[in-house]
Formats: sequence, structure tokens, C-alpha cells
Amino acid sequence: MRTLLRWWCTLTGAVILTAPVLRVQGQGMRTLAIDERLATASGLSLGDSVRLAPMASAPSGQWARIGAITRRSADPSEIARSEYRVRLHLDQLQSLTGVGDRIGRFAVRTQLSAGASPDATAVGPDSVSAAINAMAFGFRAYPAAEVAIETSATFRVVNRFHRAIGIITIVASAIFLLCITLLKVDERRREVGALRLLGLSRATVVRSVMLEASLIALLGSALGAGFGAAASAIVNWYYQGVYATPLKFALVTPEIVAIAVTLSLLLGIVSGYLAAQRLVRTAPLELVGR
Amino acid sequence: MNMTPPVLSARDLRRAYLVAGAPVEAVRGLTLDVHPGEWVAVVGPSGCGKSTLLNLLGAIDRPTSGQLLIRGRDVAAMDDKEATRFRLTGIGFVFQRFYLMPTLSAAENVELPMAEAKMPRVEREARAKELLTYVGLGARTDHRPFQLSGGEQQRVAVARALANRPALLLADEPTGELDARTGEEMIALFDRLNRDGTTIVTVTHDEELAQAARRVIHMRDGVIVDDQVRRPLESPTGAT
Repeated sequence: MRTLLRWWCTLTGAVILTAPVLRVQGQGMRTLAIDERLATASGLSLGDSVRLAPMASAPSGQWARIGAITRRSADPSEIARSEYRVRLHLDQLQSLTGVGDRIGRFAVRTQLSAGASPDATAVGPDSVSAAINAMAFGFRAYPAAEVAIETSATFRVVNRFHRAIGIITIVASAIFLLCITLLKVDERRREVGALRLLGLSRATVVRSVMLEASLIALLGSALGAGFGAAASAIVNWYYQGVYATPLKFALVTPEIVAIAVTLSLLLGIVSGYLAAQRLVRTAPLELVGR
Repeated sequence: MNMTPPVLSARDLRRAYLVAGAPVEAVRGLTLDVHPGEWVAVVGPSGCGKSTLLNLLGAIDRPTSGQLLIRGRDVAAMDDKEATRFRLTGIGFVFQRFYLMPTLSAAENVELPMAEAKMPRVEREARAKELLTYVGLGARTDHRPFQLSGGEQQRVAVARALANRPALLLADEPTGELDARTGEEMIALFDRLNRDGTTIVTVTHDEELAQAARRVIHMRDGVIVDDQVRRPLESPTGAT
């Protein structure tokens, strides 16, 4: 016997219930769907029969057969929830709970009627929810967009936090790259001074320093992107295992790589230019220390 | 008396610096002609103006007054860009320190001035190999500077100085960083270069190098106090 503490039931509405589930054999019964995490944790599989009861101590219950095992969508807002989900037919759920008219929440999908103009915003979700709220008693309707905004508030804060970290990292990297370039260029003062004495133009010196700094920046960004991709793969592998979800926790997209490489290249060019300018503004004789 | 027009002609050349707000003349009214094929050694005590003179002759520095013509061109009238170009194509430099690019091979170091002068790659590769063979490093063209001895590095520097077939080779203490034996090899190389037609002006404290030159100029307090021709010019045996 395996006991499950909680599950979610979702049909047209969703109700949170607590009940034990017992594993038995049986055929020709009503079906239910359980999620993958429950199947894994309890060892249940397709075709298994389970007994459903509203209380763990209830002497009897209803039998149902597992007709489907579902995988949760990659929803960040649910990732930390540890409960299991079971989907029942509505009538079975109602008889099981004994409260046939109790619904926690339900969704209404609105669509334009045939021939209606797309500009007819008067019949959009906002107006529908406003109309429902005008006559509602004991409940409230929200447009889906509003619900989405509400539930993603945490992620917006996290997103801003990440952006701030990103900006700080970029500024610090820029300063670091400039310092490194200046130091590396300064190490070659004598060689560059000698080259200037030999007749290499300022433009050649500036070009070569900028080219070198750009190549270093490009190489750095490539290494950084590779490191980021590897780190993301490790993070995803670990947390997808912990939370049993296909959700990706860290992403290195082509857009991110493109931004990183472009930004790095720009920083390389600018730092190379500044370092080179510092060098070519100094007299060649001074550069060689005479 | 040499009747060929001089490669280098200086007339009443002066160079003054401000030291603690007061002008100090490092070169004071110097007049000098250097003819093609000459090897001139400029000697004198430290602070006598040798290096300042070399900087002026090499279009690195500008005279305060006077006239300096190199191959008929007025160096004092050149702006920075022209002087840089002139140094690239008209003058070869050998420094006491070799100043080779550590990341480049010997051949690439020699090719550098030719690349700057826009010489085609095939031509400059051939020229670099020819010059390195001339200075005795034909088998070490792909070596990096750190893989070469001091004498070998200085040979690469000489080859680099000759890359664009300059009218004048200026050398500032070319044996200064070398031991006695390698210094002698370098003097022999300069002698061979000169016999093959290269016009050389060296600034040196090295007595042996000065003795090997055809003409020795002694400087003191910014002026020439002695100018001796030790060996007359011969017909060049080759060309570099």
C-alpha cells in the first residue's frame, strides 16, 4: 500500500484534496490520470488500479484504473511545489468529495463570434471579467493576462536582479579588460618604440594593438560562452533531477552568445584603441627609454 | 677627396634642450658630410652629443637650427608622418638592445619593415631569407628571438635594418650588449656590409668597433674635435 499525502484534481476546475491511494488489481473501471512524479514516487504504472477515498481512514472508496500518466508543463511558478496531481472525471470527483458544487477556480475561454470585427474590444476578456464581477457574489473574475502578470511578479524581480548583475559584470569586465590591455601594451613600450623608430606608423601600431585586443576579447567571449553553456548544462541536469521537471533553469541562447561576443568585441576594440592611443602619443625615444 | 654627392650632409646643426628652464645645446654647430660607402664611427665621452647626433641623422629628432640633408631631402622640414616614412625606407637602425618582436620568428621580424612598406609577401619573404642568409642565419629563419643567442638576435636586427635597402645604416652601440667574441663577429659583419657598399654611421664606446671603421669622428661638448679617415673607400664587392 502506498499513501499519498496530497494531489491536485483538474477538470474544468481544480480542487485540492487529501486522500490515500491504495494499489489494487482491477479491470473495466473508470480511469484517472496521474502525473509522472507520482508514478515515479509510488511505483504506479499504466493499467494499475487504485482505490480512492476522501480520508485515509475511510473504510471504503471508489476504484479507478490509471489510464494516463501525464508530464507537467515547464512552469516556473510550480517548480517548488511538492504535491502530486491526479486528474479525475468530474462526476467521480464530485461523488468522492461529496461536495458536488464546490469549485475553487475555473477558466473561461472567450472568443470572437463569427463575423465580429477584431476591433470589437468591447467583448474582450476585460469586459467579460468586468461584467462577471458586476454580478458576482463571493468570487471574482480576472483576465488571463492579469493572472499571468500577478503570478510572474517574482520572476520579474529575479529578472531585474539578473540584469543588474549582468550590468555590473559588464562594467567590471570593461574596466578589467582595459587595465589588462594597458598593462600588456605597457610591457611592450620598448618594442613598440623601436618599431616606431624603424618607421612603423602610428596607424600601424594602433591597428595591431586593436587587432590583438579584439582577438583576445573574441577568444575570451568564446571561452565564456563555452563555460556558460557547460555550467548551464550542469545546472539544468542537477535541478531537473531534483524537481523532476523538463524546465530549463539556465539558458545560453544564440542571442545571448551574440550579445556577449558583440559586447566583448566592442570592449576589446575600445580598450585596444585607448591603450594604443596612450602608446602612440608618447615619443618613440621616450618609449625606448632614451 | 670624394667627389660623389654625400648621402648625408649636415650644416651648422644645432640641438638645444631645456634643462631646468635653461637651454642646453647637446649639438653645437656641427657640420658633416658622409659619402656613399663610408663607415663612420662617432666616438666620445658620455654626454658629448653622440646619441643626439644619431637621433638627428636618423630623423628621430629635429635640429633646433641648421640644415640636414639625407639623400638630398631636408629632414628638418619633414613632419612626423613624412619622417616616419623616411625612416622606414631611407634609414636602417640597429640598436644596442635588439628590440625584436618576441612573438615573431627571425624571418617575420625582418619582414616587418617590408610589410609596412607594402612590399608583396613573396618578395619580402625572399628578401628576408636572403638577408638572414647574408648575416649567417639562413638555417634559423623560423626561430623566435628567445631561441637565439644575443649575437644572433643582433644579426637579425641588422638584417631587419637592411630590409628596405636604406641609403644609410645607423647603429647605436651595436656591440654594447654582446660579449667580446660575439662583438668581434658583429664588427666583422659590419665590415662585410660596408665592403659590400652599405653606408654606415655607428655611435660607439667600443674601441675595436671604432678601429674597424673607415672614418672616426671624435666629439666633445657637442662639437666635432677630430675627424680622421683611417681607410680609403674601395669599390664595393656586392650589395645588400
